[in-house]
Amino acid sequence: MKALVIDDSRVMRKIVSNVLVGVGFECIEAENGQVALDQLEAHSDVVLCCIDWNMPVMTGFEFVVAARKRPEWRNVTLMMVTTEGEQDQIVRALAAGAHEYVLKPFTPEVIIAKLQFLGLVDLKEMA
Amino acid sequence: MTIPATWEPLSDADSVLTIAQDLFSTMIDGEPGHLYPWMGERPTLEDPRFTWVDVAGSVATRVMLMAGRATGEQLTRSLLAMEESEPVSDADFADAVGEIANVVGGNVKSLVTNPGALTLPVVTHEEPDMSKDFCLLETYFGWRGAPLGVALWALTP
Amino acid sequence: MTLTAETFDFVAALVRRNSAIQLERGKEYLVESRLAPLARSAGAADVDAYVRSMRADVTKHDIVVEALTTNETSWFRDLNPFTVLRTTVFPDLKARNKNSVRIWSAACSTGQEAYSIAMIIADNFPSVQANIVATDLADGVLVKGRSGRYTQLEINRGLPAPMLVKHFERQGPSFEISSQLRSQVVFRKHNLLDSPPAGGPFDIVFLRNVLIYFDVATKREVLKRIQGAMTPGGYLFLGAAETTIGVDESWERIQVGSSSVYRPRGKRV
Repeated sequence: MKALVIDDSRVMRKIVSNVLVGVGFECIEAENGQVALDQLEAHSDVVLCCIDWNMPVMTGFEFVVAARKRPEWRNVTLMMVTTEGEQDQIVRALAAGAHEYVLKPFTPEVIIAKLQFLGLVDLKEMA
Repeated sequence: MTIPATWEPLSDADSVLTIAQDLFSTMIDGEPGHLYPWMGERPTLEDPRFTWVDVAGSVATRVMLMAGRATGEQLTRSLLAMEESEPVSDADFADAVGEIANVVGGNVKSLVTNPGALTLPVVTHEEPDMSKDFCLLETYFGWRGAPLGVALWALTP
Repeated sequence: MTLTAETFDFVAALVRRNSAIQLERGKEYLVESRLAPLARSAGAADVDAYVRSMRADVTKHDIVVEALTTNETSWFRDLNPFTVLRTTVFPDLKARNKNSVRIWSAACSTGQEAYSIAMIIADNFPSVQANIVATDLADGVLVKGRSGRYTQLEINRGLPAPMLVKHFERQGPSFEISSQLRSQVVFRKHNLLDSPPAGGPFDIVFLRNVLIYFDVATKREVLKRIQGAMTPGGYLFLGAAETTIGVDESWERIQVGSSSVYRPRGKRV
């Protein structure tokens, strides 16, 4: 399974990738929303995107809006991973088509639990 | 200038301590207990570095981290899982400490009503000139014995 | 850093007297990690020093017991039981025309389990009236459960974002559950070794990750009391690694996917 980790911080991309690799994903990266769109075009087997909000060139929110316009990416799970924690921001992101929302700071278990709920990771495989 | 009403929740250091402790325990140390309030006098920072994000709004506010270069390097090593012997480049340093400022700033922003957008982090060697601005809060923490400062400044337009 | 045997024995005895939880040798790390924050706040050099300083002070015993008996808790923990509620248990209760359901969340800690159950019902079976009793030994967790307020870190753990925006509101640094859901859960102080709490008989009981702390005789005792407080067609949920098999044969185990749920044997409506 392939995941796309989108964050302008290399540190954060590394942290998120490590969590995902630990549960069986292969990870590719993008440092802003525009590069992320390019990556999705190039890799048709991405099933999950972990998306930061505040990035240069194109924000994570703008990426979600753009990605949801593409029917061929309907089945890609979009998970925000961000410090933007106001209620309004969470509502906006979900309304725009994000499936999940992780607040920074987070533990690996937080992301894994959400992936389980989404059906992307099977509990039994964890044993 | 009095503290703008929307920033009242941050007039004491406890909220910032909680934010910092949550960040350090989950993403830097992997367990709680390594970040604590600084005891004693205001510490001096060795070869200090300044990192900040600004929150836009009716009163723009700067969330600034102050740390010695060596402390910043340690933080970078922890976050990037680097070996003790690996050198820390300026780029890595800026990225790691910048992300810490981003997370602290973002969480600080969530505590106030109607905050604006968060800027991207800036990391500098020179202390920025804050003489025309108003300090809302300055607090220090100890991390594995080394001092770390967090300051909130209301920026004069 | 290792605990002295003296410290461990004292804490284990204290916890056993006040909760029936058995801390055997090998669990020193648990005592160490749970008491370290208390030792730090008290300014003690280490856990040994802290325990030495508080053993004679009875007023301090409760916090030590509380620190050792709180579970690591999250929303929709293990996920499967909540799926079973949605796919199997509630459809069955509905088929039996049960529109008012009584639920007991035992050893509820800070209440995430009880409120998770409330959310499943509100989102999938809105016509069902849920009456949830949530019990625990420790006062601190009950107060927190009643408040329905959780920190950002706690809200992050296991709660799907759509449920967050639907059922919670941000209040400064905390997130608070809706008053509608909060009103469906009653938090009560209760010891599992006592008679079951008021609010029964229960159609559904959650007793998860508690039995592991008890010896076999106590397990039997607790399970017997619980069965006595359940309706004949009721459902019991245990922790993922727990079972009644080999302990109490009066329960029938039913497999639903990869989970198990237990029902009083032979009794059906």
